[in-house]
Amino acid sequence: MATTSEDPVESVKKEPGSCQYDKQTLVAVLQFLRKHNLKGTESLLKEEAKVSEDDLKTEEDKKTEVSQALAAVYKSDDDPSLFEDLYQDLKTFIDSCLDVHKVELSTILYPVFVHMYLELVYNGHQWNASQFYSRFWQDQDEHRHEDLARLTSVRQKEHMVGSDNQLLESFKTSKFILRMSRDSYTHLKRHLQEKRLSSLLTIVQDHLFIDVFDGVPRTQQQIQASGGGLTGEVDRDANKAKVLYGLLREPDVQIALDDDEEGGDGDEKPKKKKSKKDPLLMKKSKNDPNAPAPTRIPLPELKDQDHRDRALGFREAKKRVKLDHNHLPSICFYTFVNSFHGVTCVDVSDDSSLMAAGFSDGNLRVWSLTPQKLRSMKGVDDLDIIDKEADDVMERIFDDRTATDFKSLSGHKGAVYSASISPDRAYLLSASEDGTVRLWSLQIWSNLVCYKGHNFPVWDVRFSPHGYYFASASHDRTARVWATDHHQPVRIFAGHLSDVDCCRFHPNSNYVATGSSDNSVRLWDMLNGSCVRVMTGHKSAVHCLEFSPDGKFLASGGADSQVLIWDLATGTMVAQLLAHTSTVYDLCFSREGTMLASGGLDDSIRVWDMQKIMAEQDTEADPSIPSNITINDSASLLLGSYFTKNTTVLGLHFTRRNLLLACGPFVAPS
Amino acid sequence: MAAPLKSSPKDAQVMSAILKDMGVLESEPRLINQMLEFTYRYVTDVLDDAKVYSNHANRKTVDADDIKLAVQIKTDHSFTTPPPKDLLLEVARQKNSQPLPLVKPYSGPRLPPDRYCLTQPNYKLRTVKKPRSVQYGLPMSQKIGLVSQVKPMLAPSLTVVTKSLHQPTVTILNKAQSTAKPTVRVTPGLGALGASGLSRIISSGGGLGGLTSTGQASVQPAAASTSLLSSTAVVSSSSTPSLTLSSTSTPGLSGISTLPSSLPTTGVTQINPLKRKLEDDDYDI
Repeated sequence: MATTSEDPVESVKKEPGSCQYDKQTLVAVLQFLRKHNLKGTESLLKEEAKVSEDDLKTEEDKKTEVSQALAAVYKSDDDPSLFEDLYQDLKTFIDSCLDVHKVELSTILYPVFVHMYLELVYNGHQWNASQFYSRFWQDQDEHRHEDLARLTSVRQKEHMVGSDNQLLESFKTSKFILRMSRDSYTHLKRHLQEKRLSSLLTIVQDHLFIDVFDGVPRTQQQIQASGGGLTGEVDRDANKAKVLYGLLREPDVQIALDDDEEGGDGDEKPKKKKSKKDPLLMKKSKNDPNAPAPTRIPLPELKDQDHRDRALGFREAKKRVKLDHNHLPSICFYTFVNSFHGVTCVDVSDDSSLMAAGFSDGNLRVWSLTPQKLRSMKGVDDLDIIDKEADDVMERIFDDRTATDFKSLSGHKGAVYSASISPDRAYLLSASEDGTVRLWSLQIWSNLVCYKGHNFPVWDVRFSPHGYYFASASHDRTARVWATDHHQPVRIFAGHLSDVDCCRFHPNSNYVATGSSDNSVRLWDMLNGSCVRVMTGHKSAVHCLEFSPDGKFLASGGADSQVLIWDLATGTMVAQLLAHTSTVYDLCFSREGTMLASGGLDDSIRVWDMQKIMAEQDTEADPSIPSNITINDSASLLLGSYFTKNTTVLGLHFTRRNLLLACGPFVAPS
Repeated sequence: MAAPLKSSPKDAQVMSAILKDMGVLESEPRLINQMLEFTYRYVTDVLDDAKVYSNHANRKTVDADDIKLAVQIKTDHSFTTPPPKDLLLEVARQKNSQPLPLVKPYSGPRLPPDRYCLTQPNYKLRTVKKPRSVQYGLPMSQKIGLVSQVKPMLAPSLTVVTKSLHQPTVTILNKAQSTAKPTVRVTPGLGALGASGLSRIISSGGGLGGLTSTGQASVQPAAASTSLLSSTAVVSSSSTPSLTLSSTSTPGLSGISTLPSSLPTTGVTQINPLKRKLEDDDYDI
């Protein structure tokens, strides 16, 4: 490292901006003179300007060192003052286009701005970079301001070398993807080539990827809806793979009353099946082409207890309240008082009998939501003497002397960020800031396993609807799938550009959806770990996901207070639900999928009409052409808004009878 | 809340200016204090390290070089970032190329092998090697370990209290001969036993709520002649499939509610659990 002459250079850099500007031109002039062998002029100029030989050397040395490290991503010899003019020129060109092209072309301004800024910084033109930034940053979209603020912390070349700034890494390594219609693209290309704006052209070629489609240019609404990803949108190949979104074939229910097995008899008794949509019943009993084979991924077999649970579930389903736009759900709210910002997550079991909450001090608590208290299992000797063939053996194994209303579970070293109760109510999983996921037994109330794999905070953990598998989402930009009997993950889903904030299993357990801080939602295949869908549209981090009960739709909610509905068959957005005024923390579909409830930081629960969305969905349009997609964002989709007093809504859950349970901490206004 | 008072020290004003620059417009007042503390600690650490490096290079003063090295080492050490994308993709590719493992049917609670679980007993019983013949039906010579149980997850502050009994009273019943009514009578340290010579220690269930409850070790019916408490593996073999949930229970250490909680002191050399010296074969904490 050429360090001997560091000090003079450093001292020079400390001078106020204007001197630095002169210095750089001076150095540039000197280099020009040197190149053309004008030695006499060079030495004279050097003497007059009092520039030492060392200054020149170090500039070049530095450039080569850093460029070796960085593979010269941004190296350019352009005059820094040109950049501002180039950008302004681009803006005026776009304004002069026809309206149809204007909206599409204006999407190019953000990535060009970012890359121009980074190029200026890389080549050492710090003053120019800050001028450029301050002149044009306010023109960018609102939702980009946060990313831009993070980018401004990079002011010198040295900042770019270290890999601390992940946003920078994403911009450096991945290309920004734009989708444009052919007409707009030809306009742009013609303009760039005519004016011979070579530097702009190089930027566009190196850092942008423009996916051209043949069709009508998109409208402002369409572009706004799908824009927002950290590195732009997605190209057409990302959503090409076939997704088997159908539900698995329901196993025969042998135990209990008058429940039927085969769907062939579905005509007579349509209500007795667990299916959420009765008309689909007939289709399901025959081979659903969109459903995966039951053996596609290994799933645990059903035990007697599971069959009994299912029979109970069917019985409950018969008494379900039918929800539609005329029959809104009743909401029962569980408020955590005196929690002092301690409650971080809530989960309710599928049969609505248990509620688990995680706290920021690392503890978990489980409450019973039914009059039945929580009991612990008897000791070994007591268990020996009970009659194992008795019908109520499951009652007898529990010791009534330990019955309490709630149980506490301690073990984590850091805040618990997510909890998930298994479908058979035997286990509880918790994900924590200390990077571990712990499995707790809800029968002996102790910690069974500690899964260590992520070395960074785990933001979300979720059991699969069939038990046995669970997924965890972490700060290390991966989501991992584990099986309870393996101490290491069985699948790793890597591909997000920023931390993965939430993960959910599809009802058929074959797919996992993840939402991330890079504003995208991805769908991963359990079989081979590949990413089958990438969906952009959120303008900020995605905090919650939920699959519809029939498996066709995915709802996502985020920090941008939007709730978006995606069609999994095509990967396109179906509806954009805008009513929340702050982050959306949880979503829940009603049991038959006709209603969607969302709740969040704005202390409200909003109920949306899913039935209408499904009815109005345009299934004829060709999804490969982005301009054909119609997004439903009408205000009539909002069926009701229910406000609490200063209580953030953290968890939502529809019981089997379609009563909506909500949970949240009461946060006293300061 | 963001701007400090004019009378606050210059450092605090600089810090709030930095915060404003980075986009933090509103913050609690103690944030400035926290940031200043962090800055002070970080800078002193870096300068200390730089001094060490310059000493190592036999220089009299601290150079910019040393500072740079110190900063670099500190960032590598303290501020770790998640692994780079290409590494993640490579690891994921390798992992995902293996097919999903098959699910073993009828395997009870599906947990990893015991050494990856937290279900093992985190204590060890000490036995005395007294050469006494073991006759079925007569009191056996053995030491009963009284263990104080704590929550198994964190560092267990175990104290293993051993009681030497001249004629221990605990015998283990074989399953085939279970008495109709289990007696909860334990008379440790006394010569006289019940008429049948058989008594049973019964541990009540679910004692994980209490922290340091002294309990008596429950001895497996199956392990009739050994005096050590066997691990959970033995428990699982004796239970039937329908009660699989019990098979992985932690060994039944729990408070006995029917027995007096204090140790019986009659005629026994009792060792106070809190004051016992640590001995060689104690379980490492």
